[in-house]
Amino acid sequence: MFDLIIAGFMDSLTIANLLFVLLGVTLGMIAGAVPGVNGPMAIALCVPLSYYMSPMTAIGFLVGLNKGAFYGGAISGVLLNTPGTPEAAATSWDGYPLSKQGKGEKALRMALYGSVSGDFFATWVLILVAAPLAAVALYMGPPEIFALICLAMTIIAGIGSSSMTRGLIAAALGIFIGTIGMEPVSALPRLTFGLYQLERGIALIPIGIGMLAFSEIIIQLERSRANGAGEATLEFSKKPEDRFVSFAEFRRSIKTIFRSSIAGTIVGAMPGLGAPVASFFAYDRAKKASKNPENYGKGELDGIVASESANSAVCASALIPLFTLGIPGNVASALLIGAFVIHGMIPGPLMFEQNARFIYSIYSSLIMANIFLLVVGRLGLRASCKAVSAPKTILYPIIIFTCLMGSYLGAYNTFDVILMLFFAFLAYFMNKWGFSHICFIIGFILSPIWETALQQVIIVSQLDTFMFFKRPVAVILMIITFYIVIKTTINTFKKTAK
Amino acid sequence: MTRKKRDNLVSGGIILFSVFVLAWVIPNFTPPYPGYGVSSALLPNVVFGLILALSLLSLTTNIISDFRNKSAVNNKNQAEKNDVPVVNRVHLWHLMSIMIPCLLLFPAMRLVGFVPAALVFLILMQYFCGQRKPLILLIVSTCTVGIMYLAMRYGLGVPMP
Repeated sequence: MFDLIIAGFMDSLTIANLLFVLLGVTLGMIAGAVPGVNGPMAIALCVPLSYYMSPMTAIGFLVGLNKGAFYGGAISGVLLNTPGTPEAAATSWDGYPLSKQGKGEKALRMALYGSVSGDFFATWVLILVAAPLAAVALYMGPPEIFALICLAMTIIAGIGSSSMTRGLIAAALGIFIGTIGMEPVSALPRLTFGLYQLERGIALIPIGIGMLAFSEIIIQLERSRANGAGEATLEFSKKPEDRFVSFAEFRRSIKTIFRSSIAGTIVGAMPGLGAPVASFFAYDRAKKASKNPENYGKGELDGIVASESANSAVCASALIPLFTLGIPGNVASALLIGAFVIHGMIPGPLMFEQNARFIYSIYSSLIMANIFLLVVGRLGLRASCKAVSAPKTILYPIIIFTCLMGSYLGAYNTFDVILMLFFAFLAYFMNKWGFSHICFIIGFILSPIWETALQQVIIVSQLDTFMFFKRPVAVILMIITFYIVIKTTINTFKKTAK
Repeated sequence: MTRKKRDNLVSGGIILFSVFVLAWVIPNFTPPYPGYGVSSALLPNVVFGLILALSLLSLTTNIISDFRNKSAVNNKNQAEKNDVPVVNRVHLWHLMSIMIPCLLLFPAMRLVGFVPAALVFLILMQYFCGQRKPLILLIVSTCTVGIMYLAMRYGLGVPMP
């Protein structure tokens, strides 16, 4: 066991791997800093590139990208009051007032320390908790997996979208798209409409790029056309006390960091809740626990670390359900599943048996990415500030072109480009009509696991009709699912009737 | 258009689409039951059955609430009008101005080659995004296409589109 851990760590500490983790962190930070560009979008664009890397390098690169983007989101939030990512919104509540006082650099440093601390805490929780949880998860059979996916989808649909009905419709549509291609039992083409290109199924790349990157750019462009582009002027104070975080200031925030990291880790480990929930929750808790709550919203350093350490903790803890159950905790993890599958691995409890060494190398990459984030964040503070003012008229056409080339790279196939445009079109209207494309993507990712579990349950229950009821865990999970659905439906009905 | 009216229209559209998929698409495009395991139409039927049920639920809830509070709804309508995300002609034109060049890019690449087609595409895209300075249009297009060409051809060894 110990040999395996050492071997896994050593595997990831190669020059090439470390360089790609560093590149991932740097690119992620820049991507997160640019308003309108976010981590999932950057991952979606870079998944095709991971074809050309070894599995370890690819996952290390994508993990670094995700971590970098989480912190990067705070940069535009603090400097422009335009959070690069939704989870950075709470950071900007105190970061932007500090920035207006010329203390933008100090706010960014505090955000960086909070981000690194939260991530560090959650990474260690992941390392300590994932393997024992996976061992428990190994005892789960098809009924439990089926019931767990139903519950996860319901939670994601309920929390991840404005209405549970719409979230479930989006997830169901995603599952339907996931059924296109070869049928797993008969191995005959299903729902291919006579198109041979669909026989291999629809890959994650055109869906990820189309729905997360391309449609987002169209919407951002629409907004910037409607609002007009405003130029921001950034001013930084030269005084050391306005630029640096003193040890005393950091020590005062340790309690908040610890509390917020725990909150972020718990929220991140639950599928669907995500980083925005964690950061708002931690900010609220920190404000309530503070001796000076009136300072919050006016430039309180504790407010920045609360939000940042919570949302960065989500980044690592969202990998807990992914590694232990094969269920993505958020959209970035969903995209990581795609990257794992590309490299011939299926995330889930069996990974600890089949690819334990690889898992330990991912842990090592996570730790390295965290160290790199601290280094790059400190050294590239000024440079990353420049990224926030990148002109959209240059940036967006480049992203559109990269989306097209990225979807072509997946299979060297123009059909995938057409698919990408179709899904971008779909996501645009889903966004306008209030359907969550995140639920759609997670439904699509979980579709094959759900179908296999459903088929196994039906086949086995033909032999034993009451098989499902003999599995208490599955029954409890299904009862919780039905309770959530019925309660939400009744609440919605009451609210609409008022 | 109010939010409720839009929701009703969307739910109605989804109901019609679900019926079409359940009645025609799934029976015609799924392989027959092989005699073992589970029918391959099971999951698509379950999924679209669920979509149909949820859309019906959504529509029914809206209609009942409209029927109950007809007068209150009229007052609310005006307030709701402003916060409904709209898709009007301007938005559709904007969407098409991006989608159509993207759809034409790859056929154009096959016709005239990667570099010229990509250059024209990027100039067009920048123009649609609001860039009006000819020098920047040229520099950004040339650099992006050049980097992409080098990265794809020599870096990744990809067969060019």
